[in-house]
Amino acid sequence: MNIELTNVTRSFGRNRAVDGVSLEVGAGVLGVLGPNGAGKTSLLRMLATVLPPSSGEIRLLGRDPKNTAQRREIRRRLGYLPQNLGYYPAFTVVEFVEYFALLKEVPSGRVHKAVAEAVERVDLGGRAKARLRTLSGGMLRRVGIAQAIVNNPDLLLLDEPTAGLDPEQRVGFRALLRDLGRTATVVVSTHLVEDVGAACSEVALMDAGRIVFRGLPAELVARGEGHGVGDAPLERGYSAVLQAARKGGVAA
Amino acid sequence: MRELDNSAYDGGAYGDGERDLGGVDLGRVWTGVAAEVWRRRPGPAERIAARLLRSPGLARALLTTPSLLLPWLLSTLVVFGVGGLVSLADDRPLVWLLAPGVAAIGIACAYGPGVDPAWEVSCSVPISHRIVLLVRAVAVFAVNAFLGLAVSALTYALNVHGARPVGAEAVAITVAWLLPMTAVCALSLAVAIAARSAVAGAFAGVFAWTAVVVASMSASGQFTAAITDTSTYLPYLAVAACATVAIGFATRSQRGAQ
Repeated sequence: MNIELTNVTRSFGRNRAVDGVSLEVGAGVLGVLGPNGAGKTSLLRMLATVLPPSSGEIRLLGRDPKNTAQRREIRRRLGYLPQNLGYYPAFTVVEFVEYFALLKEVPSGRVHKAVAEAVERVDLGGRAKARLRTLSGGMLRRVGIAQAIVNNPDLLLLDEPTAGLDPEQRVGFRALLRDLGRTATVVVSTHLVEDVGAACSEVALMDAGRIVFRGLPAELVARGEGHGVGDAPLERGYSAVLQAARKGGVAA
Repeated sequence: MRELDNSAYDGGAYGDGERDLGGVDLGRVWTGVAAEVWRRRPGPAERIAARLLRSPGLARALLTTPSLLLPWLLSTLVVFGVGGLVSLADDRPLVWLLAPGVAAIGIACAYGPGVDPAWEVSCSVPISHRIVLLVRAVAVFAVNAFLGLAVSALTYALNVHGARPVGAEAVAITVAWLLPMTAVCALSLAVAIAARSAVAGAFAGVFAWTAVVVASMSASGQFTAAITDTSTYLPYLAVAACATVAIGFATRSQRGAQ
Protein backbone atom coordinates (compact mmCIF):
# COMPACT_ATOMS: atom_id res chain seq x y z
CA MET A 1 0.00 0.00 0.00
CA ASN A 2 1.36 3.41 -0.92
CA ILE A 3 -0.92 5.29 1.46
CA GLU A 4 -1.83 4.04 4.94
CA LEU A 5 -3.76 6.37 7.22
CA THR A 6 -4.88 5.28 10.67
CA ASN A 7 -7.39 7.44 12.49
CA VAL A 8 -5.84 10.67 11.22
CA THR A 9 -7.19 13.99 12.42
CA ARG A 10 -6.18 17.54 11.71
CA SER A 11 -7.54 20.51 13.63
CA PHE A 12 -7.19 24.24 13.11
CA GLY A 13 -8.10 25.76 16.42
CA ARG A 14 -11.53 24.38 17.27
CA ASN A 15 -12.28 23.38 13.70
CA ARG A 16 -11.57 19.71 12.96
CA ALA A 17 -10.83 19.70 9.22
CA VAL A 18 -10.03 15.98 9.04
CA ASP A 19 -11.75 13.78 11.56
CA GLY A 20 -10.50 10.25 12.17
CA VAL A 21 -9.76 9.21 8.60
CA SER A 22 -8.42 5.71 8.02
CA LEU A 23 -7.49 4.80 4.49
CA GLU A 24 -5.36 2.36 2.54
CA VAL A 25 -4.62 3.07 -1.10
CA GLY A 26 -2.51 1.16 -3.61
CA ALA A 27 -1.77 1.84 -7.26
CA GLY A 28 -4.62 3.41 -9.22
CA VAL A 29 -6.50 6.67 -9.32
CA LEU A 30 -8.53 7.60 -6.26
CA GLY A 31 -10.92 10.48 -6.75
CA VAL A 32 -11.76 12.42 -3.59
CA LEU A 33 -15.10 14.15 -3.84
CA GLY A 34 -16.86 16.35 -1.37
CA PRO A 35 -18.45 19.71 -0.77
CA ASN A 36 -16.43 22.83 0.09
CA GLY A 37 -14.87 22.56 3.53
CA ALA A 38 -15.19 18.77 3.62
CA GLY A 39 -11.47 18.40 4.40
CA LYS A 40 -10.19 17.32 0.99
CA THR A 41 -7.42 19.90 0.77
CA SER A 42 -6.27 19.32 4.35
CA LEU A 43 -6.14 15.59 3.64
CA LEU A 44 -4.08 16.14 0.50
CA ARG A 45 -1.73 18.52 2.30
CA MET A 46 -1.10 15.89 4.95
CA LEU A 47 -0.43 13.31 2.25
CA ALA A 48 1.97 15.80 0.64
CA THR A 49 3.88 16.00 3.98
CA VAL A 50 3.21 19.74 3.99
CA LEU A 51 0.89 19.56 6.98
CA PRO A 52 1.50 17.23 9.91
CA PRO A 53 -1.57 15.50 11.41
CA SER A 54 -2.84 16.55 14.82
CA SER A 55 -3.17 12.88 15.71
CA GLY A 56 -3.15 9.48 14.05
CA GLU A 57 -0.58 7.66 11.96
CA ILE A 58 0.43 8.22 8.36
CA ARG A 59 2.64 5.96 6.28
CA LEU A 60 3.44 6.90 2.70
CA LEU A 61 5.23 4.63 0.25
CA GLY A 62 5.93 2.35 3.19
CA ARG A 63 7.73 5.09 5.09
CA ASP A 64 7.04 7.27 8.10
CA PRO A 65 6.91 10.99 7.23
CA LYS A 66 7.70 11.91 10.84
CA ASN A 67 11.22 10.57 10.34
CA THR A 68 13.39 13.19 8.59
CA ALA A 69 15.32 10.76 6.38
CA GLN A 70 12.20 8.80 5.43
CA ARG A 71 10.26 11.99 4.75
CA ARG A 72 12.98 13.07 2.35
CA GLU A 73 12.76 9.73 0.58
CA ILE A 74 8.96 10.08 0.32
CA ARG A 75 9.30 13.59 -1.10
CA ARG A 76 11.68 12.42 -3.81
CA ARG A 77 8.93 10.11 -5.06
CA LEU A 78 6.06 12.53 -4.53
CA GLY A 79 4.29 14.83 -6.95
CA TYR A 80 1.99 17.52 -5.60
CA LEU A 81 -0.22 20.07 -7.28
CA PRO A 82 -1.83 22.33 -4.67
CA GLN A 83 -5.14 24.04 -5.18
CA ASN A 84 -3.51 27.45 -5.54
CA LEU A 85 -0.11 27.06 -7.10
CA GLY A 86 1.82 30.31 -7.49
CA TYR A 87 4.08 30.96 -10.46
CA TYR A 88 7.21 32.98 -11.06
CA PRO A 89 5.97 35.23 -13.87
CA ALA A 90 9.42 35.77 -15.41
CA PHE A 91 10.19 32.05 -15.62
CA THR A 92 9.62 30.15 -18.83
CA VAL A 93 7.65 26.90 -18.75
CA VAL A 94 10.86 24.89 -18.96
CA GLU A 95 12.60 26.95 -16.27
CA PHE A 96 9.69 26.51 -13.88
CA VAL A 97 9.44 22.76 -14.36
CA GLU A 98 13.22 22.42 -14.19
CA TYR A 99 13.29 24.39 -10.94
CA PHE A 100 11.09 21.76 -9.31
CA ALA A 101 13.00 18.92 -10.91
CA LEU A 102 16.10 20.28 -9.19
CA LEU A 103 14.31 20.80 -5.88
CA LYS A 104 13.02 17.22 -6.10
CA GLU A 105 16.61 16.05 -6.58
CA VAL A 106 16.06 14.44 -9.96
CA PRO A 107 19.55 13.18 -10.93
CA SER A 108 21.46 15.90 -12.80
CA GLY A 109 21.95 13.76 -15.90
CA ARG A 110 18.21 13.16 -16.20
CA VAL A 111 16.85 16.61 -15.45
CA HIS A 112 16.61 17.95 -19.02
CA LYS A 113 15.00 14.80 -20.40
CA ALA A 114 12.58 14.61 -17.44
CA VAL A 115 11.58 18.24 -17.98
CA ALA A 116 11.04 17.72 -21.70
CA GLU A 117 8.96 14.61 -21.04
CA ALA A 118 6.80 16.37 -18.45
CA VAL A 119 6.26 19.41 -20.67
CA GLU A 120 5.36 17.19 -23.63
CA ARG A 121 2.99 15.10 -21.54
CA VAL A 122 0.90 18.13 -20.68
CA ASP A 123 0.99 19.20 -24.31
CA LEU A 124 2.92 22.41 -23.72
CA GLY A 125 5.82 21.66 -26.06
CA GLY A 126 4.77 24.51 -28.32
CA ARG A 127 5.00 27.00 -25.42
CA ALA A 128 8.06 25.56 -23.71
CA LYS A 129 10.03 28.78 -23.94
CA ALA A 130 7.08 31.09 -23.20
CA ARG A 131 7.18 33.18 -20.03
CA LEU A 132 4.58 32.14 -17.49
CA ARG A 133 3.08 35.64 -17.39
CA THR A 134 2.02 35.18 -21.04
CA LEU A 135 0.08 31.93 -20.47
CA SER A 136 -3.64 31.45 -19.95
CA GLY A 137 -5.08 30.02 -16.72
CA GLY A 138 -5.54 26.59 -18.28
CA MET A 139 -1.97 26.53 -19.55
CA LEU A 140 -0.67 27.54 -16.13
CA ARG A 141 -2.60 24.68 -14.60
CA ARG A 142 -0.90 22.33 -17.05
CA VAL A 143 2.48 23.79 -16.07
CA GLY A 144 1.52 22.94 -12.49
CA ILE A 145 0.72 19.38 -13.51
CA ALA A 146 4.05 19.17 -15.35
CA GLN A 147 6.01 20.15 -12.23
CA ALA A 148 4.05 17.54 -10.27
CA ILE A 149 4.97 14.69 -12.63
CA VAL A 150 8.50 15.78 -13.54
CA ASN A 151 10.07 13.32 -11.08
CA ASN A 152 7.84 10.50 -12.37
CA PRO A 153 6.28 10.14 -8.90
CA ASP A 154 5.02 6.97 -7.29
CA LEU A 155 2.57 9.06 -5.30
CA LEU A 156 0.84 11.88 -7.13
CA LEU A 157 -1.50 14.28 -5.33
CA LEU A 158 -3.59 16.67 -7.38
CA ASP A 159 -5.88 19.23 -5.81
CA GLU A 160 -8.51 20.44 -8.29
CA PRO A 161 -6.24 19.71 -11.27
CA THR A 162 -8.88 20.37 -13.93
CA ALA A 163 -9.81 23.84 -12.70
CA GLY A 164 -9.31 26.19 -15.64
CA LEU A 165 -8.91 23.45 -18.25
CA ASP A 166 -11.22 23.54 -21.25
CA PRO A 167 -13.26 20.40 -22.11
CA GLU A 168 -10.73 19.14 -24.67
CA GLN A 169 -7.85 19.58 -22.23
CA ARG A 170 -9.84 17.78 -19.54
CA VAL A 171 -10.32 14.81 -21.82
CA GLY A 172 -6.57 14.71 -22.44
CA PHE A 173 -5.85 15.13 -18.75
CA ARG A 174 -8.10 12.21 -17.82
CA ALA A 175 -6.14 10.03 -20.27
CA LEU A 176 -2.94 11.13 -18.54
CA LEU A 177 -4.43 10.28 -15.14
CA ARG A 178 -5.42 6.79 -16.26
CA ASP A 179 -1.92 6.27 -17.65
CA LEU A 180 -0.23 7.47 -14.45
CA GLY A 181 -2.54 5.33 -12.31
CA ARG A 182 -1.35 2.15 -13.98
CA THR A 183 1.78 2.12 -11.84
CA ALA A 184 1.50 4.98 -9.35
CA THR A 185 -0.97 5.97 -6.68
CA VAL A 186 -2.81 9.07 -7.84
CA VAL A 187 -5.13 10.95 -5.51
CA VAL A 188 -7.27 13.59 -7.17
CA SER A 189 -9.39 16.00 -5.21
CA THR A 190 -12.11 17.46 -7.38
CA HIS A 191 -15.56 18.97 -7.47
CA LEU A 192 -16.24 17.55 -10.89
CA VAL A 193 -17.93 14.17 -10.65
CA GLU A 194 -17.49 13.59 -14.39
CA ASP A 195 -13.70 13.60 -13.87
CA VAL A 196 -14.14 10.84 -11.30
CA GLY A 197 -16.35 8.79 -13.59
CA ALA A 198 -13.95 9.08 -16.51
CA ALA A 199 -10.57 8.75 -14.86
CA CYS A 200 -10.77 7.24 -11.39
CA SER A 201 -10.63 3.57 -10.52
CA GLU A 202 -11.97 4.35 -7.03
CA VAL A 203 -13.80 7.15 -5.34
CA ALA A 204 -13.89 8.45 -1.78
CA LEU A 205 -16.48 10.95 -0.66
CA MET A 206 -15.69 13.28 2.22
CA ASP A 207 -18.05 15.28 4.34
CA ALA A 208 -17.30 17.22 7.54
CA GLY A 209 -13.77 15.81 7.70
CA ARG A 210 -14.84 12.17 7.42
CA ILE A 211 -14.87 9.68 4.60
CA VAL A 212 -18.52 8.79 4.20
CA PHE A 213 -18.17 6.56 1.14
CA ARG A 214 -15.43 4.59 -0.52
CA GLY A 215 -15.85 2.30 -3.48
CA LEU A 216 -15.94 2.00 -7.24
CA PRO A 217 -17.56 4.76 -9.28
CA ALA A 218 -20.17 2.17 -10.32
CA GLU A 219 -21.00 1.57 -6.63
CA LEU A 220 -21.50 5.29 -6.12
CA VAL A 221 -23.80 5.31 -9.13
CA ALA A 222 -25.75 2.42 -7.61
CA ARG A 223 -26.24 4.41 -4.39
CA GLY A 224 -27.99 7.07 -6.41
CA GLU A 225 -30.55 4.85 -8.07
CA GLY A 226 -34.00 6.16 -7.33
CA HIS A 227 -32.58 9.35 -5.88
CA GLY A 228 -34.00 12.49 -7.39
CA VAL A 229 -31.23 15.05 -6.90
CA GLY A 230 -28.57 15.45 -9.62
CA ASP A 231 -28.45 15.42 -13.40
CA ALA A 232 -26.03 12.54 -13.93
CA PRO A 233 -25.96 9.06 -12.30
CA LEU A 234 -22.75 9.87 -10.37
CA GLU A 235 -24.19 13.15 -9.14
CA ARG A 236 -27.27 11.32 -7.88
CA GLY A 237 -25.02 8.86 -6.04
CA TYR A 238 -23.01 11.74 -4.60
CA SER A 239 -26.15 13.47 -3.33
CA ALA A 240 -27.66 10.28 -1.96
CA VAL A 241 -24.53 9.38 0.02
CA LEU A 242 -24.15 12.90 1.41
CA GLN A 243 -27.80 13.01 2.40
CA ALA A 244 -27.56 9.64 4.13
CA ALA A 245 -24.37 10.67 5.95
CA ARG A 246 -25.91 13.90 7.18
CA LYS A 247 -28.99 12.13 8.41
CA GLY A 248 -26.86 10.39 10.95
CA GLY A 249 -25.14 7.33 9.56
CA VAL A 250 -21.89 7.13 7.63
CA ALA A 251 -22.87 5.46 4.40
CA ALA A 252 -19.58 3.71 3.70
CA MET B 1 12.56 5.53 -12.91
CA ARG B 2 9.83 4.18 -15.10
CA GLU B 3 9.83 4.99 -18.77
CA LEU B 4 7.30 7.55 -19.87
CA ASP B 5 4.84 7.23 -22.69
CA ASN B 6 4.31 10.57 -24.34
CA SER B 7 1.07 9.60 -25.97
CA ALA B 8 -0.75 9.91 -22.67
CA TYR B 9 -1.77 13.52 -22.88
CA ASP B 10 -2.62 13.81 -26.54
CA GLY B 11 -6.00 12.28 -25.94
CA GLY B 12 -5.39 9.79 -28.72
CA ALA B 13 -4.70 12.40 -31.37
CA TYR B 14 -1.59 10.56 -32.47
CA GLY B 15 -1.71 6.80 -32.41
CA ASP B 16 1.30 4.61 -31.77
CA GLY B 17 1.24 3.54 -35.40
CA GLU B 18 1.94 7.08 -36.50
CA ARG B 19 4.73 7.61 -34.00
CA ASP B 20 6.45 4.24 -34.15
CA LEU B 21 7.98 4.04 -37.60
CA GLY B 22 10.08 0.97 -38.30
CA GLY B 23 10.74 0.35 -34.62
CA VAL B 24 11.79 3.97 -34.04
CA ASP B 25 9.72 5.66 -31.35
CA LEU B 26 9.44 9.17 -32.75
CA GLY B 27 7.95 10.46 -29.52
CA ARG B 28 11.01 9.38 -27.61
CA VAL B 29 13.34 10.80 -30.26
CA TRP B 30 11.48 14.11 -30.15
CA THR B 31 11.70 14.25 -26.36
CA GLY B 32 15.46 13.78 -26.61
CA VAL B 33 15.69 16.56 -29.18
CA ALA B 34 13.42 18.83 -27.12
CA ALA B 35 15.51 18.22 -24.02
CA GLU B 36 18.59 19.47 -25.88
CA VAL B 37 16.84 22.39 -27.56
CA TRP B 38 15.18 23.59 -24.35
CA ARG B 39 18.21 22.97 -22.14
CA ARG B 40 18.92 25.99 -19.98
CA ARG B 41 22.57 26.80 -19.43
CA PRO B 42 23.11 27.88 -15.81
CA GLY B 43 25.01 31.17 -15.44
CA PRO B 44 28.34 31.45 -13.64
CA ALA B 45 26.71 32.50 -10.36
CA GLU B 46 24.45 29.45 -10.38
CA ARG B 47 27.32 27.12 -11.24
CA ILE B 48 29.46 28.51 -8.41
CA ALA B 49 26.54 28.34 -5.95
CA ALA B 50 25.78 24.76 -7.00
CA ARG B 51 29.39 23.78 -6.41
CA LEU B 52 29.59 25.56 -3.04
CA LEU B 53 26.24 24.27 -1.78
CA ARG B 54 26.71 20.88 -3.45
CA SER B 55 23.13 21.02 -4.66
CA PRO B 56 21.86 22.41 -7.99
CA GLY B 57 18.37 22.70 -6.47
CA LEU B 58 19.58 24.76 -3.53
CA ALA B 59 21.61 26.94 -5.89
CA ARG B 60 18.54 27.62 -8.01
CA ALA B 61 16.49 28.33 -4.88
CA LEU B 62 19.17 30.80 -3.80
CA LEU B 63 19.12 32.61 -7.13
CA THR B 64 15.35 32.97 -7.03
CA THR B 65 15.52 34.88 -3.73
CA PRO B 66 13.27 37.90 -4.26
CA SER B 67 15.56 40.21 -2.28
CA LEU B 68 18.58 39.20 -4.35
CA LEU B 69 17.04 39.98 -7.73
CA LEU B 70 18.49 42.86 -9.73
CA PRO B 71 15.68 45.40 -9.15
CA TRP B 72 15.92 44.83 -5.40
CA LEU B 73 19.72 45.13 -5.40
CA LEU B 74 19.54 48.35 -7.40
CA SER B 75 16.97 49.76 -4.96
CA THR B 76 19.23 48.86 -2.04
CA LEU B 77 22.16 50.52 -3.74
CA VAL B 78 20.12 53.67 -4.36
CA VAL B 79 19.06 53.82 -0.69
CA PHE B 80 22.64 53.36 0.50
CA GLY B 81 23.88 55.84 -2.11
CA VAL B 82 21.42 58.53 -1.04
CA GLY B 83 22.33 57.81 2.58
CA GLY B 84 25.99 58.22 1.68
CA LEU B 85 25.39 61.54 -0.07
CA VAL B 86 23.40 62.84 2.89
CA SER B 87 26.21 61.73 5.18
CA LEU B 88 28.72 63.66 3.10
CA ALA B 89 26.51 66.74 2.89
CA ASP B 90 25.73 67.28 6.56
CA ASP B 91 28.39 65.13 8.16
CA ARG B 92 25.89 62.77 9.74
CA PRO B 93 26.63 59.08 9.06
CA LEU B 94 23.16 58.20 7.90
CA VAL B 95 24.35 55.02 6.14
CA TRP B 96 25.11 53.41 9.47
CA LEU B 97 21.57 53.95 10.63
CA LEU B 98 19.98 52.95 7.32
CA ALA B 99 21.83 49.67 6.86
CA PRO B 100 20.13 47.61 9.60
CA GLY B 101 16.63 48.66 8.47
CA VAL B 102 17.31 47.99 4.78
CA ALA B 103 18.82 44.58 5.53
CA ALA B 104 15.90 43.68 7.81
CA ILE B 105 13.42 44.26 4.97
CA GLY B 106 15.54 42.20 2.61
CA ILE B 107 15.79 39.33 5.08
CA ALA B 108 12.05 39.33 5.79
CA CYS B 109 11.37 39.10 2.06
CA ALA B 110 13.89 36.32 1.43
CA TYR B 111 11.63 33.31 1.89
CA GLY B 112 8.15 32.35 2.95
CA PRO B 113 4.49 32.28 1.99
CA GLY B 114 3.46 35.34 0.04
CA VAL B 115 7.07 35.88 -1.01
CA ASP B 116 7.67 32.64 -2.89
CA PRO B 117 4.82 32.09 -5.32
CA ALA B 118 5.31 28.35 -5.24
CA TRP B 119 5.85 28.12 -1.47
CA GLU B 120 3.32 25.34 -0.94
CA VAL B 121 5.00 23.00 -3.42
CA SER B 122 8.43 23.97 -2.07
CA CYS B 123 7.31 22.53 1.27
CA SER B 124 6.81 19.10 -0.31
CA VAL B 125 10.25 18.72 -1.90
CA PRO B 126 13.19 16.78 -0.44
CA ILE B 127 15.34 19.87 0.06
CA SER B 128 14.53 21.15 3.54
CA HIS B 129 12.88 24.55 3.58
CA ARG B 130 14.89 25.33 6.69
CA ILE B 131 18.07 24.95 4.62
CA VAL B 132 16.64 27.12 1.86
CA LEU B 133 15.73 29.73 4.45
CA LEU B 134 19.20 29.62 5.99
CA VAL B 135 21.03 29.87 2.68
CA ARG B 136 18.87 32.75 1.49
CA ALA B 137 19.08 34.64 4.79
CA VAL B 138 22.86 34.33 4.91
CA ALA B 139 23.17 35.45 1.30
CA VAL B 140 20.90 38.47 1.76
CA PHE B 141 22.71 39.44 4.94
CA ALA B 142 26.11 39.10 3.27
CA VAL B 143 25.10 41.17 0.26
CA ASN B 144 23.64 43.92 2.46
CA ALA B 145 26.64 43.88 4.74
CA PHE B 146 28.97 44.17 1.74
CA LEU B 147 27.02 47.05 0.19
CA GLY B 148 26.70 48.79 3.54
CA LEU B 149 30.39 48.39 4.30
CA ALA B 150 31.41 49.62 0.87
CA VAL B 151 29.25 52.75 1.07
CA SER B 152 30.15 53.32 4.71
CA ALA B 153 33.86 53.10 3.99
CA LEU B 154 33.52 55.30 0.92
CA THR B 155 31.53 57.91 2.83
CA TYR B 156 34.08 57.89 5.58
CA ALA B 157 36.97 58.22 3.15
CA LEU B 158 35.34 61.10 1.27
CA ASN B 159 34.27 62.98 4.39
CA VAL B 160 36.48 66.04 4.19
CA HIS B 161 34.42 68.21 6.53
CA GLY B 162 34.51 66.42 9.85
CA ALA B 163 37.50 65.37 11.91
CA ARG B 164 38.22 61.83 10.78
CA PRO B 165 39.47 59.36 13.32
CA VAL B 166 42.10 57.00 11.98
CA GLY B 167 43.22 53.41 12.42
CA ALA B 168 41.28 51.07 14.69
CA GLU B 169 38.75 53.74 15.59
CA ALA B 170 37.93 54.34 11.93
CA VAL B 171 37.39 50.62 11.37
CA ALA B 172 35.24 50.39 14.50
CA ILE B 173 33.01 53.21 13.31
CA THR B 174 32.75 51.80 9.80
CA VAL B 175 31.62 48.39 10.99
CA ALA B 176 29.74 49.54 14.10
CA TRP B 177 26.34 48.94 12.54
CA LEU B 178 27.00 45.28 11.76
CA LEU B 179 26.05 44.04 15.22
CA PRO B 180 22.74 45.92 15.42
CA MET B 181 22.10 44.86 11.82
CA THR B 182 22.47 41.22 12.85
CA ALA B 183 20.02 41.67 15.72
CA VAL B 184 17.45 43.56 13.64
CA CYS B 185 17.69 41.04 10.78
CA ALA B 186 17.23 38.09 13.14
CA LEU B 187 14.23 39.76 14.76
CA SER B 188 12.72 40.58 11.39
CA LEU B 189 13.15 37.02 10.14
CA ALA B 190 11.71 35.53 13.33
CA VAL B 191 8.59 37.70 13.10
CA ALA B 192 8.21 36.99 9.36
CA ILE B 193 8.31 33.26 10.00
CA ALA B 194 6.09 33.29 13.08
CA ALA B 195 3.48 35.53 11.44
CA ARG B 196 3.95 33.89 8.01
CA SER B 197 4.11 37.36 6.55
CA ALA B 198 7.07 39.15 5.01
CA VAL B 199 5.34 42.48 5.55
CA ALA B 200 4.95 41.80 9.28
CA GLY B 201 8.62 40.83 9.51
CA ALA B 202 9.82 43.89 7.63
CA PHE B 203 7.58 46.16 9.68
CA ALA B 204 8.76 44.62 12.97
CA GLY B 205 12.42 45.02 12.01
CA VAL B 206 12.14 48.60 10.83
CA PHE B 207 9.88 49.62 13.70
CA ALA B 208 12.17 48.07 16.33
CA TRP B 209 15.26 49.66 14.82
CA THR B 210 13.63 53.09 14.53
CA ALA B 211 12.53 52.86 18.16
CA VAL B 212 16.07 51.96 19.27
CA VAL B 213 17.63 54.79 17.26
CA VAL B 214 15.16 57.39 18.55
CA ALA B 215 15.38 56.16 22.17
CA SER B 216 19.19 56.11 22.12
CA MET B 217 19.29 59.54 20.57
CA SER B 218 16.99 61.11 23.11
CA ALA B 219 18.77 59.41 26.01
CA SER B 220 22.29 60.43 25.00
CA GLY B 221 21.75 63.39 22.71
CA GLN B 222 23.96 61.74 20.11
CA PHE B 223 22.67 61.02 16.60
CA THR B 224 24.50 57.71 16.27
CA ALA B 225 24.21 56.48 19.86
CA ALA B 226 22.35 53.31 18.80
CA ILE B 227 25.49 52.23 16.99
CA THR B 228 28.39 53.78 18.84
CA ASP B 229 27.26 53.21 22.44
CA THR B 230 29.06 50.02 23.44
CA SER B 231 26.58 49.35 26.27
CA THR B 232 23.99 48.43 23.62
CA TYR B 233 26.10 45.63 22.15
CA LEU B 234 25.13 42.99 24.70
CA PRO B 235 21.38 43.57 24.28
CA TYR B 236 21.86 43.33 20.49
CA LEU B 237 23.58 39.98 20.92
CA ALA B 238 20.81 38.78 23.24
CA VAL B 239 18.10 39.80 20.75
CA ALA B 240 19.96 38.04 17.91
CA ALA B 241 20.34 34.87 19.99
CA CYS B 242 16.69 34.80 21.10
CA ALA B 243 15.45 35.43 17.57
CA THR B 244 17.67 32.64 16.24
CA VAL B 245 16.19 30.21 18.76
CA ALA B 246 12.68 31.34 17.79
CA ILE B 247 13.49 30.80 14.09
CA GLY B 248 14.77 27.31 14.84
CA PHE B 249 11.61 26.51 16.79
CA ALA B 250 9.27 27.92 14.16
CA THR B 251 10.92 26.03 11.30
CA ARG B 252 11.15 22.65 13.00
CA SER B 253 10.03 19.90 10.67
CA GLN B 254 6.95 18.65 12.47
CA ARG B 255 5.33 22.05 12.42
CA GLY B 256 4.83 21.77 8.69
CA ALA B 257 3.85 24.65 6.47
CA GLN B 258 0.86 25.65 8.51
